Amino acid sequence: MSKEIEKLYADRLKRYLTAMQNEKPDMIPIRPFVAEFTAKYAGFNCQQVTHDYEKAFEAACKCAADFDWDAVVANMVYVWTGLTEAIGTKYYGVPGIDVGPDTGFQYREPSEENAFMKPDEYDALIDDPTAFLFNVWLPRVSKDVRAQGEITSYRNNLSFLKGGMAMLKYFYGFGPQIQRLKEQCGTVSAIAGILKAPLDIIADKLRGYLGLVNDLLTQPEKVLAACETLMPHLTYMALSGADPEKNVPIGFWMHRGCVPFVNMEHFEKIYWPTLKPIIEEIWSKGHQVLFYAEGDWNPHLDKFAELPEKSIVYHVDRGDIFETHEKIGHKFCLSGGIPNYLLSLGTADEVRGYCKKVIDGVAGNGGYIMDASAIIQNDAKIENIKAMTDFTREYGGY
Amino acid sequence: MVEKSKPKIKPGVCIPWEAKVKEIEKIPGDEKLLQQIWEDNEALAYMYIWHCLLSF
Repeated sequence: MSKEIEKLYADRLKRYLTAMQNEKPDMIPIRPFVAEFTAKYAGFNCQQVTHDYEKAFEAACKCAADFDWDAVVANMVYVWTGLTEAIGTKYYGVPGIDVGPDTGFQYREPSEENAFMKPDEYDALIDDPTAFLFNVWLPRVSKDVRAQGEITSYRNNLSFLKGGMAMLKYFYGFGPQIQRLKEQCGTVSAIAGILKAPLDIIADKLRGYLGLVNDLLTQPEKVLAACETLMPHLTYMALSGADPEKNVPIGFWMHRGCVPFVNMEHFEKIYWPTLKPIIEEIWSKGHQVLFYAEGDWNPHLDKFAELPEKSIVYHVDRGDIFETHEKIGHKFCLSGGIPNYLLSLGTADEVRGYCKKVIDGVAGNGGYIMDASAIIQNDAKIENIKAMTDFTREYGGY
Repeated sequence: MVEKSKPKIKPGVCIPWEAKVKEIEKIPGDEKLLQQIWEDNEALAYMYIWHCLLSF
């Protein structure tokens, strides 16, 4: 690594970490969660970066080299469809197979009657969740995996072998990719590890959203017990992928556990009591969590404010970032808040204007990281991403 | 973590060593080593299914 890149990396890391401690760095760090945008910029289509992770790595590096960004995700087109096809996963719309080659991958939730977990299966999940996932859930989400008692098949056997080996290969690819970002671009890998809330994962992958809300009305005690069962496993998974140096946060992807997807009572009695202890445990081990609050989670800011100071970084999508700053900005670093529709449909001047409004409103005392509201896909205009980057550098010094 | 969320089988394991060891009549060698390697490989299987659920 050249001395120049080494210094660039050190400066960026310090800037990023200082902001995440809710303190004032030398300038506002820029940490855009660029997903399919990287393909557009690097000259690939969505199929290429989704199905060939080496191309996704290359696209991420090209963007990191060309834009003055402090931190990026090593591969924000995270779902490698080569792996999901090896497993036989049913629930993705795969670019180049189910959708056009230049459309990002899609999640296809099954109908309520075809949910991957049935309403009377909570006890089985609670009894041994890992066995339930292997024996009941996986055969339902994979075209190839056979359920217990069914006649097995060549494809069943290959699904486990190819799936397991491909997953290892993919994960082992991240170490060199993070090193490449550091040594070639001087860019920090923004997050490490993954967390989802117990209630969210029940909606996302087990009962489906409609199944979950029915269960919340008809058998809320089972939903709560299932969430409690998932807690230690989700904590373990989050910690197993966390940054051993305890610098960058664990990514926490927030989906449909908020009002109005669930009501306030269910949030307060189930979602929050089964999430808060996970965050506290992770924090007790020295790791921050990045709350990637997709949608509008502002009705719940008072609850998030209960968490220990600096334990989280709070990313704002559709919530009011100024209200967020007022309610929790004194405890936690904020990020995001630049609307994706503006990056896609607006002009560069409009983007600069909005960045100024956000910086003026929330970044005065540090503790803010520039980013779009949601992950940046291939609809964003390149000139608008440049405008967001350049304006933040010009205007964002302290 | 709240007491009631304590799992029957600890995270990182699919089939506990305690169940596996019952299948072996007598261990003349180093049981600790057997347990450690068993659990290391268990963790890989565990990570596979939980990553399928969470990440993919």
